[in-house]
Amino acid sequence: MSQYLSFLGPLAILVVVALMRQHLTPIWAKLFAVVTSLILVASLAADWSGLLLGQASVIFVLVTDLVAATSAWDSVQWLKEHRHIAAHRYYLWWAMFWASLLGIAVARNLAMTWLEVEFSTLASGALVVEMGNRQALEAAWKYIVIASVGLVLALIGIVFVYASLKSQQMGWATLDYRNLRLRVTHIPPIIRQVATILIVSGFGTKAGLVPFHSWLPDAHSEAPSPVSGLLSGVLLGLSLFAVARFVTAVPVAPHVFLTGDTLLTLFGTISVLVGSLALLVQRDIKRLLAYSSIEQMGIIAIALGMGSKAALAAALWQFVLHAVIKSTLFYGAGHLSVSYHTKRLEKITGLIARNQWFAILWGVGILALAGLPPFGLAYSEWLILENLWLQHALVVATLLSAALALTFAALSYHLLRTLWHPLESSRSLPDTAPEPNPQLAAGGPSPS
Amino acid sequence: MNLAGFFIFLAAAGLLWSRNMIYAVWYLAAEGILLGVMVGASGPVTWLTGLVGIATLAIKAGLIPVALHRMMKTWPSEFRQDHPLPLWAYFVAILLVLAVGHVIHLLAPAGITLHPELFFYGLASIHLGLLMIVARRHVLSQVASLVGIENGLVVLAASVAGSLPTFVELGMLMDLTIAISLLVWMSHHIHRQFNTTDVAALRRLRG
Repeated sequence: MSQYLSFLGPLAILVVVALMRQHLTPIWAKLFAVVTSLILVASLAADWSGLLLGQASVIFVLVTDLVAATSAWDSVQWLKEHRHIAAHRYYLWWAMFWASLLGIAVARNLAMTWLEVEFSTLASGALVVEMGNRQALEAAWKYIVIASVGLVLALIGIVFVYASLKSQQMGWATLDYRNLRLRVTHIPPIIRQVATILIVSGFGTKAGLVPFHSWLPDAHSEAPSPVSGLLSGVLLGLSLFAVARFVTAVPVAPHVFLTGDTLLTLFGTISVLVGSLALLVQRDIKRLLAYSSIEQMGIIAIALGMGSKAALAAALWQFVLHAVIKSTLFYGAGHLSVSYHTKRLEKITGLIARNQWFAILWGVGILALAGLPPFGLAYSEWLILENLWLQHALVVATLLSAALALTFAALSYHLLRTLWHPLESSRSLPDTAPEPNPQLAAGGPSPS
Repeated sequence: MNLAGFFIFLAAAGLLWSRNMIYAVWYLAAEGILLGVMVGASGPVTWLTGLVGIATLAIKAGLIPVALHRMMKTWPSEFRQDHPLPLWAYFVAILLVLAVGHVIHLLAPAGITLHPELFFYGLASIHLGLLMIVARRHVLSQVASLVGIENGLVVLAASVAGSLPTFVELGMLMDLTIAISLLVWMSHHIHRQFNTTDVAALRRLRG
């Protein structure tokens, strides 16, 4: 019951937004950030025992609240930098998005998960549109249309599962994960297989798994940066764990070729490869992070596809660490693009000369994302590789290792270019260092 | 039920075939009326089924077609026409409809289908809607195809499960209403900012 405490946060924000409307002053943005932080502390205190026991749903709620709190604090600064954004509309959709993420995190029913995932698409899509420029409009259109089509496929699968169990006369509760697990033998094998393919593909679209990922780099790069943090850090992971919940509750007969685990491993491996290769050629700072998210979701999908408890624990670690690191990097990328008045990586250079402290933080974040020890992702990725080795999945382990090496190389390359001036341009630079920007995030509208 | 399903399938085919977006709106309204009747008549009449039936009618036969129609009225007539359907789309449409027969054959051993004929109409409508999203280029064609797919899904659900839990039906309707409101509003902005209603213009973001 304590998990539902977090819903008070978005509810409070929605009430204030409804009452204040256009009169929402900047002080309210700070108050919203305080509210989200208080909700985080309260849910941490309430769910402490669940966290210690490693309960997945508790971890999902706490990660959602944590990233929501950081997103709310970043929104305060971000809204100062983007004064053309209507704060009341921004917070209206932001609170709904947070509520939908919490809904996915606590859902114990397959249909409820579907409704919340669909609602998260609409709330986050509206936030992308709020940017008001052509690229954002294009990104939001693709996002809503592609994600909705994917989710319709998932819903067909859900309808088939419901139809198989309709004789139970349990109505809504038929689709509780617990009930599905208990009655799985009542679902004909062909329905289990068809539903698994549809649900993995449908929710996989929302998780950004390749080949259903085409909306992701656009939406994540054009969304407001505090929202990109929530989208990338929380929504992708929660959608992926929603797939895993179904696959675990309704396993396909073992002799069948395309089981849920096989599909997760297959799509995960392709995602890791495509994501890491795409990192090499990126020219936009937020698209770089978006493709990194595809790669990270691929890693989690591979771990979930293994099906063992140890692999699930590694997947949870990967999810938590990725959520924290990626959301922070997205906030940073937003401020960088404002400071440099561009999102193009070749123009975001010489950060050390501009702002040393920000450069150190950015460097640590990118190296953590690249999987450099002793940062946490190195540990969880090692655990996943170890599990692959123990399960004799050598082909996947080899491909994953190669992709991780490639990711490290690509992110290090982009980091070096960001921190210092590239060699070719530094030759043509004047002797004097660039004028330092005391306040990294300068005002005025920008493409972030 | 089967007759309503047949007419919904015909409307889905009309939706795919129609270039004039005004006709597309009429097809959607017809689908909405048929679905409202179908949902209301899918089981014993209770206040819940009545509520779902009325909500379906209000949203699918009223709100959505009216919103699309009002949007189009603000545009000059050249923006109300879609491009001709490419030739390949006709062949794919025939193949997709024929493929439904194979799916019915495949799922027959599972014994979940209550009304095979209705199942055919539902899945065929979904297939045509999916094809429409790929083949049609007008922004409102894509909006209409999403509604068409959702309508097909309701027919499919009626064919295998009789009806879905009320909470799911109302949740789907709410999601659809928000989605279509957003997309219609975005269509307005796409027309204003890109000076076109062709989704082919949405290709700035690549790589």
